[in-house]
Amino acid sequence: MTVESEYVIETQDLVKIYKTGKVKAVNGLNLKIKKGEIYALIGANGSGKTTSLNMITGALFPTSGLIKVLGQEIPKNRRLITNYIGVAPQDYSIYYDLNLEENVRFFARLYGMKKAEFVPKYNELMQILRLEEKRKALAKNLSGGMKRRASIACALIHSPKIVFFDEATVGVDPVLRTFFWEYFRSLKKNGVTLVLTSHVMDEAEKADRIGLMRAGKLIAEGTPDQLKKEHNSSTIEEIFIKLSEGVIVDE
Amino acid sequence: MNKKKEMEFKPKNPTFSLQRTLAIAFKTINQFRRDRRTLVLLTIVPVITMLVFGLALSGEVNNVPIIIENNDVLYSGINLGSNITTVLEGDNRVTITYDTYVSGIDLVEKGKSYASILIPANFSQSIAHMLAFGNVTPSFYVYIDATSPTVRASVLGAVREAMEESIGDKGINLVQTLAHDGAEFTGLDVGIPAIIAFELIFLLVIVGVITVTREKIQGTQDRLFATPLKSSERLLGYVIGLLLIATIMVAIILIFGIFVFGAKVRGNAFLLIFAALLFGLAHVFMSVFLANFAQNELQAIQFAPLTAIPSMALGGLLIPVVGLPVWLQPVSYIVPLTYGINLFEGIMLKGWGFKELWVDFLVVGGMCLIFFVLAVISVRNRMRD
Repeated sequence: MTVESEYVIETQDLVKIYKTGKVKAVNGLNLKIKKGEIYALIGANGSGKTTSLNMITGALFPTSGLIKVLGQEIPKNRRLITNYIGVAPQDYSIYYDLNLEENVRFFARLYGMKKAEFVPKYNELMQILRLEEKRKALAKNLSGGMKRRASIACALIHSPKIVFFDEATVGVDPVLRTFFWEYFRSLKKNGVTLVLTSHVMDEAEKADRIGLMRAGKLIAEGTPDQLKKEHNSSTIEEIFIKLSEGVIVDE
Repeated sequence: MNKKKEMEFKPKNPTFSLQRTLAIAFKTINQFRRDRRTLVLLTIVPVITMLVFGLALSGEVNNVPIIIENNDVLYSGINLGSNITTVLEGDNRVTITYDTYVSGIDLVEKGKSYASILIPANFSQSIAHMLAFGNVTPSFYVYIDATSPTVRASVLGAVREAMEESIGDKGINLVQTLAHDGAEFTGLDVGIPAIIAFELIFLLVIVGVITVTREKIQGTQDRLFATPLKSSERLLGYVIGLLLIATIMVAIILIFGIFVFGAKVRGNAFLLIFAALLFGLAHVFMSVFLANFAQNELQAIQFAPLTAIPSMALGGLLIPVVGLPVWLQPVSYIVPLTYGINLFEGIMLKGWGFKELWVDFLVVGGMCLIFFVLAVISVRNRMRD
């Protein structure tokens, strides 16, 4: 693992054991994600996707193992990369008692954005996320899908190099979802790396590469086509079910 | 190596940022601007509480320390001065120390005692002359702290009863001199500093604990760790936001007190603001620390009675500390409100400055420091897991 590495995210034998339980939420995760990749981490609820993401973004301390993001060791040097990552967590993580604009502006300020930088980016995001009419609406009054989009706006406002979307498209309607993917690809074209988690398997097929997680580990990894070929299946869902049967659940 | 160039980014080790700090401050204010009902309630509740309890409990207090100098001498076999002091000794409203009138005055001015009484040398003789010839009016001197109406009522009540008991209802001239440059206050005047002190505790603990706890509930706390925000900026942001809210609330109470209820306020306004900010600061830090123990807003609210009730009972809000049972008085010295009321009453009612209040400033300053350390640890702790 060197700074010159072609990977923007690397983890080595990453383990997380929560204080409250003895279960290894993440049990030896080895991830390598390239710059400009759209990487989907998929798995059932409780497979360790969110825990992994939280450790990589520096919100959670790992029990053991190594993490490097943009060549910096996490959590030790997590401060150095905060300006370059954007996070849209599973639980939205927006301020319900602030309106949409106040939420986005709050995060923009945390990233040190000037008003002149903020306004055009904000307008662009509102248009892309179809939130233009909700700018002044209190976050708590937004629908689930809109809260998700608001959270995405907060994650993208400072034009990060790596974006983490935890269950990014849950609650977002199918039409808008297609539109989202178009936008994700345009980000990718600009060199942005996207890491997303999902428990919706067909969604993951749109990603460049997929990592299948089960009991805190990767059980399969590759491009959608590779995986289908390897496992002789027509859908990712089928592969996942097939592989899941082979793993003994130790919970 | 084309790739290497693409990968380049400028790692920035963020230094302190005022912009980020103010982002937290304005966010905190905005959140409560949306919730005006809570703020209004939090402002009105202490005032109503004070008025209700003030009416219910206005009366006399016990064990008020006073100083007596009795110079009366035996006249025709009687010493009325001694008779009076004997009766006073048996009255539980006052606790007597015998000393000179002059040093008594000094103690009253320093807030160590509440009245200094002088019974003149010729007291019994003047009474006898008055009864016989009616040509003299015997005088009896009381130097009294009139900034607390309940304390004053107790002292004067005890003195008048003692006179009646030993001499009868005669025309004795009770000469009252008011301490603290003649400061004399009614129940409402006295209420204002106490309300301010209580308001700062009540409001800041509730609002502060809610603010910090909300970050936990909404998941924004984890989200903030993925931003350049430092824990010091976060803490300072809370401090600025919460103190601004508190300042507005205190200003409302002062304006209402002065212009609507006609309360009298003396003393140095800047010192008062400084004391209020220092006292408020200690409670902001305290609330950040207390938020450790709240998992949701309902639990956060429960800190209000937890801090308010002991404060009200023991901090001198309803009963002056001197009026509490002696064994309970030491407990009042660990209740922060005691020092808040001392400070605000000292400045607003007695016109005191640093010289007289340095102990209270020191205690509140110490509280600030202790809770600051606890708050820093609390904010830091949450990053780890």
